[in-house]
Order: sequence, then C-alpha cells, then structure tokens
Amino acid sequence: MTMMKCWLAAALALTVAGCAPRSDDRDDLSRAASKELAVTPVAARPRIAILGDSLTAGLGLPKAAAYPSLLQERVDEDGLGFEIVNAGVSGDTSAGGLARLDWALDGDVRILIVALGGNDGLRGLPAEELQHNLAQIIERAQARGITVIVAGMEAPPNYGRDYIVSFHKVYPALAAKYHLAIVPFLLQGVAGHDNLNQRDGIHPTAAGARIVADTVWAVLRPLAESRRRPPT
Amino acid sequence: MAVRETRASLRRLFFFFICIAVGVAAIVALRSVIQSVRGVFGAEAKSLIAADVLISTSRDWTPDARRTIEGRLAAAGVVERTDTIETPTMVRPEDRSKAVAKMAELRAVQPGFPLYGSIDLQGQTYSPALLAGHGVLVRPELLTAIGVAVGDQIAIGKAAFTIRGLIVKEPGRGMGEFSLGPRLIIAYDDLASTGLLGFGSRARRALLVKMPEVGVDALVKTLHEDFKDDFINTRSFRSTEDQVGRDFDRAENYLSLVGLIIVILGGIAVSSVTRVFILQKMRSIAVLKCLGARSGQIIAVYILQVMALGTAGSLLGVAMARGVIASIPLMLGPSTSILAQAHYGVTWSAAVQGAGIGVLVSLLFSVVPLLQVRFIKPSLLLRDETVRRPRDWTGIGVLVAVSLALVALTAWQAASLKVGIVVCVGFATLAVILHFAGQALILLIAPMANSRSFPLRHAVLHLSRPGNQTRVILLAVGLGAFFIVGVRSLQASLLSEFSLQVAADSPDMFLLDVQRGQADGVRAFLGDPAHGAGAFQLIPVLRARVVGVSGRRTNLETVEAVRARGSLAREYTITYRDHLEANEHVRDGVFWNGPSSEAEVSIEQGIHDRFLIDVGDTIRFDVLGRTVAARVTSVRNVEWRESRNGGFMFVFRPGVLDQAPQTFVAPLKGPDGAEARARFQHDLVERFPNVSVIDFHDVMETVRDVMSKVTLAITVVGGLVLFSGGLILIGAVAMTKFQRVYEAAVFKTLGANTRTIARMLLFEYGVLGSLAGLIGSLGAVVLTWGVSTYAHEIPWKVFAGEHIAGVVLTALLVAIIGVVSSLDVLRNKPLATLRAE
Repeated sequence: MTMMKCWLAAALALTVAGCAPRSDDRDDLSRAASKELAVTPVAARPRIAILGDSLTAGLGLPKAAAYPSLLQERVDEDGLGFEIVNAGVSGDTSAGGLARLDWALDGDVRILIVALGGNDGLRGLPAEELQHNLAQIIERAQARGITVIVAGMEAPPNYGRDYIVSFHKVYPALAAKYHLAIVPFLLQGVAGHDNLNQRDGIHPTAAGARIVADTVWAVLRPLAESRRRPPT
Repeated sequence: MAVRETRASLRRLFFFFICIAVGVAAIVALRSVIQSVRGVFGAEAKSLIAADVLISTSRDWTPDARRTIEGRLAAAGVVERTDTIETPTMVRPEDRSKAVAKMAELRAVQPGFPLYGSIDLQGQTYSPALLAGHGVLVRPELLTAIGVAVGDQIAIGKAAFTIRGLIVKEPGRGMGEFSLGPRLIIAYDDLASTGLLGFGSRARRALLVKMPEVGVDALVKTLHEDFKDDFINTRSFRSTEDQVGRDFDRAENYLSLVGLIIVILGGIAVSSVTRVFILQKMRSIAVLKCLGARSGQIIAVYILQVMALGTAGSLLGVAMARGVIASIPLMLGPSTSILAQAHYGVTWSAAVQGAGIGVLVSLLFSVVPLLQVRFIKPSLLLRDETVRRPRDWTGIGVLVAVSLALVALTAWQAASLKVGIVVCVGFATLAVILHFAGQALILLIAPMANSRSFPLRHAVLHLSRPGNQTRVILLAVGLGAFFIVGVRSLQASLLSEFSLQVAADSPDMFLLDVQRGQADGVRAFLGDPAHGAGAFQLIPVLRARVVGVSGRRTNLETVEAVRARGSLAREYTITYRDHLEANEHVRDGVFWNGPSSEAEVSIEQGIHDRFLIDVGDTIRFDVLGRTVAARVTSVRNVEWRESRNGGFMFVFRPGVLDQAPQTFVAPLKGPDGAEARARFQHDLVERFPNVSVIDFHDVMETVRDVMSKVTLAITVVGGLVLFSGGLILIGAVAMTKFQRVYEAAVFKTLGANTRTIARMLLFEYGVLGSLAGLIGSLGAVVLTWGVSTYAHEIPWKVFAGEHIAGVVLTALLVAIIGVVSSLDVLRNKPLATLRAE
C-alpha cells in the first residue's frame, strides 16, 4: 500500500522513516557542515557511548554534522583520546534503548550518555514507562562501572500541563536517585527556534546541532577529563 | 435539383443519414457523460481536503505571511474561508479517579468548516452549535480507550469539554498524514482556554479557501512563489501529491483520451460513409454532364444535399444522445454512486461539438471527391475508367481549410496535451501503416487470383482491382479497432491499478516499536482469534548508514566520498529476511536461501541505477557504530505501489544482523468494526505499553470509497465506447455494400448462386477485417504503452485478452456485416438491382 510507505517516510519524524525511494538529498545541510573528521587510530581507545534517538543519530543531517561527531572533534582537540560511539537510532523509544543497551556498550565504554525520551513524548507514552526503562539502563551501565550522564527531554506544551509535568520530573528524579550528572534539556536554546530546526520543527539543523554539542560538552568535559586513561 | 436528386436515391440517403446520426450521437453522449463525471470527480476531490485551496503551516502564522495571503486571496476573489488548527495532545477523563490518559489528534474548527463535504456523526447531524460552550466531538475509539461515554466530560489541557457526539466521518482528514490517536473536534474559539498552544507547541494551522475554480491553479502557484523559503504549504484539490490525487489525474486523463478518441471515431465513420456515398454518384454526375450541367452547378447540388443530410443527421444524433444519456440512470438502477450524482443532460458544448463534427466531416469528405467532378468526362459513362487528375490546387486549398476547422474542433477539448500527442501520433502512424498494409495485402494475395475456387478468385480480384474498397475499409476498421481496443486495455490497466489500492485485505493498522523481547508476545496476541486481527507480519527494522563502497564502477573509500553521492549517505531503514516479498523481483544475481555468517545484502534497483553499485561489490554499513561489510549478491526491483508491507532499499541475509539491536514493525489487518478496533488497541497497548498503534482504517475507507466511484464511472464510459464504437464500425462497413450491389447482380445474371456470392463476400470482408483488427490491436498495444508510460505513469501491462478479443471480434464483425448488409441484394432478383442502378 503506497500510502503506508509515504506515511513511513513522513511519519513521526523520529520514527521508522525512509523506506521510500525519495531523493531527499539534504545536501545543503551536509555541505554546510562538511568538516573533516579527524582520523585517529581506532584500536583500543576508551569510548563514550551516546544512547539516543534521531536527535543523536542526526536525522536529516550527514553524520559528521550530528552532535556526537562534533563532540568527537572537541574530544580530539583536547587530546582526551576517547572515541565517541553514536548509538542513536531514529524512532527509538526508551524501551528500544533498553533493548539494545548491550550492543551500545560494546568495547571499553567509560561514559554513557542517555539521551532518550523524545519519541516516548511524541507518542504520548506514559512517563512512568519512560522512568522505568531509563532506570534499568542506568542500573545496568552502573553495574559495569560506567559513568552515566542523563540528558533530559521535554514534552511540547500541546500535550497539556499534566503530561508535561510528569514527563519533566523523570530526569531530575533519576539524576538524584542514581547520583548522575544531568544535561537538563538536550535541546536547550534550540527547540522552538525556527532557524535552528529543520522543516519538521523537531530536528536541529547543523547550526542547531552545534548548540546541542555545546550544551552536552559543558557537562561531558569534566567527566571525560576524570575518566581518561592515564597516559602510558 | 438537389431535392429531386435526393428523392431519387432515398434509401441510400437514409442510410447515410443514420450513419452520421450514430457517429454524432456517440460523440455527444460520451462527451456529455464525461463532462458531468468530471464535475463529480472535482466535488469528491474537494471534499477530501474540504476546500478548493488549503494553505497550511507547521508554525505560527506570522503577521507578514497573513498579510501576504490576505492580499492574494482578495485578488483571487475568494468566496469563503475558514481557519483550523490541529495538534496532537493528551486527553483524560475530567473525573480524576480514572487515571488514564490517551493521545489524541485535536482539531479546532470555525463554524464555516467544512467548506466542502460534511462531518458525519452517529445518529445526529453536525451543526456548529454542538461545539458551542466547550462541546467536543470524538471518535468512538476514545470512549473505550479512556472509559467515558457521550455526555461525560474530558480534560483537554486546562479546560473541560463535554462529549456531544461521535464522529463517523470527517472531510479533510489530511490524506496520507500520520496520526497516533483518535480525532477530537472542538470549536476554534475554545482552543485558547486549553492553554495547549504556546512556545514550542507542535500544531498545524490551516486556512481553507473556497473560490472560483478558474483561479485555483494560479493562486497556488503565486503562493508557492511567495513562500518558497517559508514553512508554508499550499495545495489545491487538484494537487497530485498523494495517491488519490494522482488517481484522479489518471482518471481525468483517461476520460479526455476517450473524448478525443470518440471524436476521431465518429469522424472516421462519417467520412467513410460520405466518401462511398459520393463515389456512387459519379455515374449520375457524368449523366448530368452529358445533359449539359456545369461543374459548379453539380458541385452545388451535391454539397447542398450532403450538408442538409449532415445537419439533419447531426441533429438526430444529438437527440439520440439525449435518449441514451437519459437511460443511463435507469440501467444503473438506484444507487448512491458517483454516476447517480452526475447530471444527466446533454451539455451544450458537447452538442455543438458533436454536430459541428458531423457537418464538417461530411463536408470535408464530400468536397474533395466532388471537386473531381470538374474532371469527370461524360465518356465515363461509356468507359469505366479511373480519372487521372492533374494536381488540383483548389482541391488542396479546400482540403486544408476544412481540415483546420476540424483540428480546431478537436482541440476544443481541454484534453491533456500529452495524451493528445500520443493519440495523434498513434493515429497518423497507424493510418500510414494501414495504407501500406493495404498495398502489401494486394500484392500478397495477387497469386491467389489464379486459384481454382471461383469465390476465392473473385474475392481476390475485388480486393485488388482499381477503385477497390481495400484501403478504405482497412483504414476505417483498423483505426476503429485501434481506438476501441486501446481504450479497453487502458481501462483494464487503470482498473487493475485502482483495485490494487483498494484490495480489501490491505493492512489498515500499523504497530511501531515492538521490542525484540515483545515480538513473540505480540505475535501470539495478533494470532489469537479472540482479538480479531487479520493477516499480519512482524518485520525487524534496523537503522544503518552507508560508509563505503568497493565496487567495479563505484569506489567510495571514505564517509566524505559517500556523502558526495547525496542521498546514499542518509540513514536507511534496513531489514533481514530469507524470502522475497510478493512485490519484489530479482533483476540480477541470486537471492539467498537460509542464513549465513557472511554478510550479504540485496539492493534495490534504484540504488543500483543511481549509485552504480552492482552484484559482487561490497558495501560497508555503519550499523549503530559497528561496521558491517556486506557483499551485494542480488539486485531487486521493488514494486513500490504494491508495497503493502513497506519496501526496503537494503535487505540483508539473515545471520549477521540477528543479534544487532532492532525493533519490529507490524503491518496488519485490524478487526472489523470501530468498537472491535478500539478494544483491540486498548488491549494491545495495555499489554505492550511502549507499542504505538497507527490506525488508518478510515483513510483507507475514504480512498476505497472514492476509488470505487471512479472505477464505476470509468467502466460505464468504457462500455459506452465499446457500444458506440461498434455501431460506428457497423455503419462504416455496411455502407460499402452499395459498391457491391451492382457486381452481385451481374454475378447472379451470369449464373452465380447466392452461396457463391456469400462466400466471396465472406472471404473478402474476412481478410480485410482480420488484417485491420490485427494491425489495430497491435497499434493499441503501442498506444497503451505510450499512455501508461508518459501520461498515467503506471507500469505498462499487456492485457492479452483484450487484444486477442479485439482481433477476433473485428474480423467476425466485418465479415458478418459484409455478408448480412448484402443479403437483400443476394435475395433480390438481379434484374431489379440492375434496373435500379
């Protein structure tokens, strides 16, 4: 059914998009941000994994313009020696993140940034579910000695005050319970600004992604410093 | 003198008159039906978006944008307008003891909504008063989902609303849009009290516009220009962005094609009878010349006669068309179909066009042979010779003038240019082919003139002697068969395309985000007959990006190199499985059997074509941070239009990705009935809270409804073409009998019996009919290819049945008419015929 195909493509922006053969070359975005990725030897570098959704995966952007790639540049500039693993899957909810945690934690992961919840919110899933799933992710990561950072999301105002509040409370509650560093709102300064978002009004542009990277870097940097491997 | 001449050959003239009437009637009736069906199509298309033009934005309206729009609307002469806002939100019962919230799609409408179509409610009629004072209309699913009833209050944002009714159907339910919850409709002015709209809210604001149809396209174009850099979209009811729009477009194209063809068919009929009619007069003209009549006088006599008959025949044709059209509703019976809504009258433009063609074509085809009158010598009476005429500039001049008039009449149809070109090129090509086929036929059967069989020998001689009917019949019948078979097979291909879209077993629900651990549970849930779901499928999906290609034609070492190839660098949804779907075909390589620990991938034709990746190449994928290098072992073609279960550019061989993080999506056929569906969703979400259910049953129903109307309309029009086309051909062939009459009588005088002559005629007409049918049908194959590919943009299919039937029926029809129309000659005493001649 063709219509379904179109829906898949135009679906909830964070969802299983992209089965259709559309020529959605978003190259204007990619050219704007085609900085060369520093090529560093891959072998045995400690890792920082970012478990997220399309915001992390960089939907509509070339991978190099997504914020995890920008964080990699910062890490390299500062000579911290980490490899950033972009474990963002478009359309993923907290339940999906939990299911694929082990895959994301492959290798010497020292720090895990949990940046999930956007799709739970867009789909109106219960906040208790979100909290429950994130708690399990955090517990399992901590059990492996990984430092966890949680990045908060907000439900948009049209979901009504009740839902927004219940959603909003999840992240600080988790941070307090598990003693985590927190990025209060991943899209701080980006959400709601037309010029920083793509046409769908959800996903940051290359410029928006730079702001996201700044926001995360402010929290990540001190932790990365403290968890870097002692020079051999 | 014209009157006296007319009286002298009354019977023949009557036949001529009837033939013209049938041709004109066919044109007028079909064109009228097509025009009214088109009108109904337009109304249906408008009710799909509830407006003529829809201007929408996913952001707030800026004052600047509104000002620009207002200016444009005023200039375009907008009659009516209304604003709506749609936003997803959470609703719960106002009664706090029920702690359940459900996502819903809220739509706030002004009293003017909808501009076209209507909101259908269960057991009551919609009026804006129902929404007054915080009333809300809801889809029945919501009641089950949050446990409320009509009359209860629900909380939307900060405000409480009373449920006043249940929505059965609403117009302008954004076709092709995605929704995760049941619809709620509230009054536009109540939206502010909910407090839902603020900074960062996600809402779609739309301005619906009703306006004169002529300005629609221009307005859309202007607004596109105005807002090409903004987040503002404009579409009209004619927009072909979605499937239904494209289908309307194809149906319209088909109708204009049919309109054009019937005009040509009618023209062919009228021309062939006129030509025969005039040729029959040559001897009388010679007699008149012997008696001292001047050429001008004679031409005037016959033109007057033809014109009078043409006009009278055309008028009779218009009257016949009225009768036919008036009887259509009787034949269809009382139905609520699209055709029942159509206006059954002859439209003026169709009548004028039909009659104009009747008169002009008969004039054209009588003037040209009549101009030869000037060269007819009285000696014709004595020596039955063909006249070799010098180049006749007057004749050519008249020919050109009348042809131009005809072209203008035909071009009157606001038909699709593409279709017109395809048809005209086909027409011209086929006419040339038929002309040469006639000559080839004569050469080919010439040896048979020495056959021992008397009927065969003479049939061959008939076909090849000077002044024969071969080419005329070939041309008329061949072109007729070409168009009729072409129209029939186009109809078949359109209808098969439509039925594909409305197949009753298509999935109408979609589950998202089923986790691996839930897959078995969901499978069991869906398979449990108690839940009432139909066919379903669980498809694993993963996300991947291409990071490199090593191949024969394409070598992309780095991510940057991949990015330079544009969309190859985007995030793709991939899957793995060990079978091909019904809508897939392997174009190259071999699709695997069973799992393997080696990574193998099957790519879609589009990837192969666009990025020059072949079987044997290796593609490196980034699957969630891990690189998977997969060898391309096959190229698949996915028939996207039939992709009920989606379609994938990259399909992996099971094995390598089995352990990778993945979720499942599930297209399925949901239970029947709104209540069962609501319970189904409720139960499913209760057990698998993270799973999202997308229900697009209503949208499918709307599409199905519209498509069945369009299908019926096309079937009726196609039936009319077959019927009237058949009549036209019968007339054209039967008219040629007048050339046979004299010969048949002579043969009889010389001792041939009725059977011999019948056999002779059967052979002669049979050969002509078969050849014409064959060429026409082959031409129709090319015509359908041209129209399918260039105008309808649907895959070209050959409907062998239609074409074979075309050849056989044409041959039979021509042979039978040839014999039957000469029956009276065969039965009559030859002397009577000879005297009459």
